[in-house]
Amino acid sequence: MKKKVLSLMLVAAMTATLFAGCGNKDEGTTNNTPDTQAPAAEDSQAGGDTAEDPIANLIAATEGTVALDLWCSETPAYQEVMAQIVENFKQTYSEVDFDITIGAQSEAECKDRVLEDVTAAADVYVFADDQVTELVNAGALQPVEATYTYNPSETNSAGAVDAASVDGKLYAYPLTASNGYFLFYDSTVFSEEDVQSWDALLAKANEAGVQVGMEMSGAWYLYGMFSGAGCTLSMNEDQSNSCDWNNETGVAVAEACAKIAADPAFINITDTDFSAKLAEGDCNIKAYVDGTWRSGDIQAAYGDGYAATKLPTFTVNGAQVQQGSYAGYKLVGVNAYSENVGWSMLLAEFISNEASQLAIFEATGEGPANTVAGSSEEVMASPAIAALVAQSPYADPQRVGGKYWDPAATLGKNLAEGTVTDYQAALDEAVAGITAPAE
Amino acid sequence: MKKTIKLIIRHIVLALLALFWLIPIIWLVVTSFSAHKGLATNNFFPKQWSFDNYVQLLTRPDTVCNFPAWFKNSMIIGVACCIISTIFVLMVAYAMSCMRFKARKPLMSFMIILGMFPGVLSMIAVYFVLREMGLTDSLLGLIMIYSAGSGMGYLICKGFFDTIPISLRESAKLEGASEFTIFTRIVIPLSKPIIVYTVINSFLAPWMDFVMARLMIKSKNPADWTVAIGLFNMLQKTLISEYFSVFCAGGVVVAIPISILFVIMQKFYVEGITGGAVKG
Repeated sequence: MKKKVLSLMLVAAMTATLFAGCGNKDEGTTNNTPDTQAPAAEDSQAGGDTAEDPIANLIAATEGTVALDLWCSETPAYQEVMAQIVENFKQTYSEVDFDITIGAQSEAECKDRVLEDVTAAADVYVFADDQVTELVNAGALQPVEATYTYNPSETNSAGAVDAASVDGKLYAYPLTASNGYFLFYDSTVFSEEDVQSWDALLAKANEAGVQVGMEMSGAWYLYGMFSGAGCTLSMNEDQSNSCDWNNETGVAVAEACAKIAADPAFINITDTDFSAKLAEGDCNIKAYVDGTWRSGDIQAAYGDGYAATKLPTFTVNGAQVQQGSYAGYKLVGVNAYSENVGWSMLLAEFISNEASQLAIFEATGEGPANTVAGSSEEVMASPAIAALVAQSPYADPQRVGGKYWDPAATLGKNLAEGTVTDYQAALDEAVAGITAPAE
Repeated sequence: MKKTIKLIIRHIVLALLALFWLIPIIWLVVTSFSAHKGLATNNFFPKQWSFDNYVQLLTRPDTVCNFPAWFKNSMIIGVACCIISTIFVLMVAYAMSCMRFKARKPLMSFMIILGMFPGVLSMIAVYFVLREMGLTDSLLGLIMIYSAGSGMGYLICKGFFDTIPISLRESAKLEGASEFTIFTRIVIPLSKPIIVYTVINSFLAPWMDFVMARLMIKSKNPADWTVAIGLFNMLQKTLISEYFSVFCAGGVVVAIPISILFVIMQKFYVEGITGGAVKG
């Protein structure tokens, strides 16, 4: 009997602590949010006239150590430059003790990791601009309503600000503007005329006995072929896609893709495999469609011949069509659930300011979104950035629902392998997959 | 003559099977000695050999590869779980095998049925409970997860305890020994092989686990990771071209503690089994 009573009491105690635990937690968050958000909101009014005041207020309102988590790209170059920027940040605001942890999280998958558990995600995180809609829908981004030191919508390029906004409201700080692709080539093999069109490029490659590469089986790259010819792909409000690739132009594009892929000089190869080949030192691919992140490797491999330009044109229905592309941005977002929204926003602002963007460019070769930094001499001197700028009139922002990637990759793979016989049927199938309702 | 041919065929088949089974492991080992850091798909054996991957792994931690910290984290988890789980399993097995109480049978069936549900089902619930307790991102939380339910794996151990003659325990009881004395002085010394089995098992599971660790450790700071998470991270698209050989070296180094544990324990393992066989 005694034992029974004891066990019952134990169970009761356990349940009680469980509820107590939850209750405390809730109280804690409700208490915290107004505290931290209030100054930030007030700042918005004050911020217009006096730039220094909100920061002074923030510092005055801060007690003890400020612990912040920052997620940025996992590559060593990024990690190092971020550590440097964070060090500068600490020195700039040396009145406050910071405990800033830099985590390694690829921007491409940032959304997935953040949405796993927003409360456990970093206070400040860097992500690719195509994730902005979903992050906003999930309430994971703190809107940029108040700023401390400068106005990101003015200092950054219009395209970047647009990419960081949802319904006209800025949700993140633009960081880089170079998540796009263009053509790298070895100018000792190809002349400037050769790289103007796929026909000339492939003809010259055959003549010189070298290869020309592109990841045609990658949905991201394949998009440029269709968009260049005027086919459309866009995301609806419910995250499903609208796509008209199975019209007459689309069929002609698919045929053109298959024709390029069938050329003996063409090789369908992923970015990773290409870089492995470059590193091995016996790479016969002398022109490749890729982005700024690979510019260092390619420069090392091509040496003096290293050059880059906009994507070539290709033949659709007998006419030359400029190949399109995606233009992407990296954005710095502040977690809406952060316990320290004020400092998080200031850190995000600092990371994405002009000087930091230039530092990131120097370390990683990624082009700044800041217009002043973007037009600086060093940046303009980079062939990769110049090529990106040349390609930009033909580039579209990446707004596409999750259902696009797999069917498009399958289509691209079939086109690259030359297994398609009925282009209309293949495109119908792909479009059916792409436009399927989002989950 | 016919016999020899049959024998040869048999051995060729076996050798082929062994080769297929070993190729990935051989590849892992030789790639870990490659001077080229990235993934080389063109050739099986590296063109240039180097010991640098191991040096980098163990002495040059950077933001991507902080192997010493991962190793330390995994070691703490592994050793703690090993001790706790082994004690749990032995105690539960002793209770189920040697003691008689009312709910013994129902409890045993209940535990077996509970064990039939895959552990992943409760993963999300476990995560949220531990988050409320503030134990995510901590080694303590992982140790709790790995060792809490370990008592349920008592079945094999109980089977072994059942073979220990009852008369031994009865005579000890007559001499005035308590259950604890019987457990520590009589049953445990007779159960070396099964203890070895339990120790190896309860070390291996947390040492190699990826799923739970990935779920519980939300921190992206490489110093907080375990070996499994860290090595997995090195295979990311952007890192693989710089770190694949280092990853392979990590894969080889991970096997070292397990091998050491096994080599030490194997002696007792074989001894215990043969000893038991002679005694009958």
